[in-house]
Amino acid sequence: MFHFIVYRLNFLKGVPLFALIYDSCLKIAMFLAAPERLGWFDDIENEVLSWDGTNVSLHKFGGTQFNYGRKEIGHLHSNGLLDILVGRQVKQELLASGKAEVHHIFKESGWISFYILTEKDLINAKCLLKEAYQSRM
Amino acid sequence: MKAVVNRKILGFLVPNFLIIGIIGVNRFVLQAESGGILVFSEFIILPILMGILAAWYWRDLKLNSKKLIWYSILNGFFAIILSFLFLGEGTICLIIVSPLIFAFVTTGAFIGKVMFKKNKQTLNISFVSLLFAVFVIDSISDHHYENMVSDEVIIRARPEKIWKNVVAFDRIKKPNNYWLFRIGMPSPMQTTVSGYKNGAARKCIFSNGYTFDEKVITYEENKNLTFDIINQPKDPEIMGHIDIDRGQFLLHDNGDGTTTLIGNSWYKLHVFPTWYYDLWAESITRNVHLRVMEHIKALSEE
Repeated sequence: MFHFIVYRLNFLKGVPLFALIYDSCLKIAMFLAAPERLGWFDDIENEVLSWDGTNVSLHKFGGTQFNYGRKEIGHLHSNGLLDILVGRQVKQELLASGKAEVHHIFKESGWISFYILTEKDLINAKCLLKEAYQSRM
Repeated sequence: MKAVVNRKILGFLVPNFLIIGIIGVNRFVLQAESGGILVFSEFIILPILMGILAAWYWRDLKLNSKKLIWYSILNGFFAIILSFLFLGEGTICLIIVSPLIFAFVTTGAFIGKVMFKKNKQTLNISFVSLLFAVFVIDSISDHHYENMVSDEVIIRARPEKIWKNVVAFDRIKKPNNYWLFRIGMPSPMQTTVSGYKNGAARKCIFSNGYTFDEKVITYEENKNLTFDIINQPKDPEIMGHIDIDRGQFLLHDNGDGTTTLIGNSWYKLHVFPTWYYDLWAESITRNVHLRVMEHIKALSEE
């Protein structure tokens, strides 16, 4: 469903508030199907906010955006898809070690994608965000 | 502790009564002449504002995502109950509207959570004012939407045999298959007619006893029966939401002993956004058509 919306109904992202509303639907679905994962997402947000100079905002395509000052570190969609900006070199290392996947849309960019499906993924997500945060400092 | 409880309760009370009050004034005072059209921003902008306002009351409670979603769903549920009590909305209508309310109240709550975390009051007030301005402009704008739904069935009989069943038919005894009819939405049961001619009075009787009064405007035997709906029941599920204007049955002899029966309905919708409500209006109209046409088919093929 997420991929259908992102790839086939991509034009809807231009409709004001559409992405935020779609992300809320993902949140409600997660609340009904796997509420413990919402707790993990809060955990990630609290962890990032505990680092100096960070803040959160709403991501323009839906989800929670993590920032260092005005620079984006990454963003978490409410289906558990975490997108992180790590730069091309780190990206190659992460892809080679199997710790992340190419970004679900911008495959040639310095972004990576990472699905948070288990509690183990939560630890890896925090490590990846910390790495991206340190590179932005 | 007491202050925390008060803030939590205010997050439910204030947004609900404020929004219901705004919808009530808009519907019964400002738009009374147009029959109380429900504009798109009443289902989108106001629930978002409701979520933002609730988030303002809950801003110091440090609610986690699970609680914020749960409270938002509760807030939406209270809004639905208040609409039932104070705005006279029907149960089926409220079931139809509920996905929009839950999604938009939750969206507003999460927008509010981030807004009030940043504490940029000028930006916050500008954003809320912009949403409110959209609501006002939408409320005073003209809204008009008409649609026609068409369905057809093939009947193994000649038009001459089918025609009398098209003009009027006895009680439909077949159980309903459509889920909205099964949970209580009235379905068509019987049709009576005062005469087999132009200008005859026709009545379409629904399962709850409500009657649509119709007047035959085209009576071309074995070909075309068109009627205007001159009076529709004062049912809260229909009133102020949809006007069924006209109905039509066309019969085409296929020349092989079968006939194509086409059912057409024209209606005006008074609830917006139509991209959402017309999906429901089309689906309901289609299932009214099919229930009647399947019955005509069964009677004609006996």
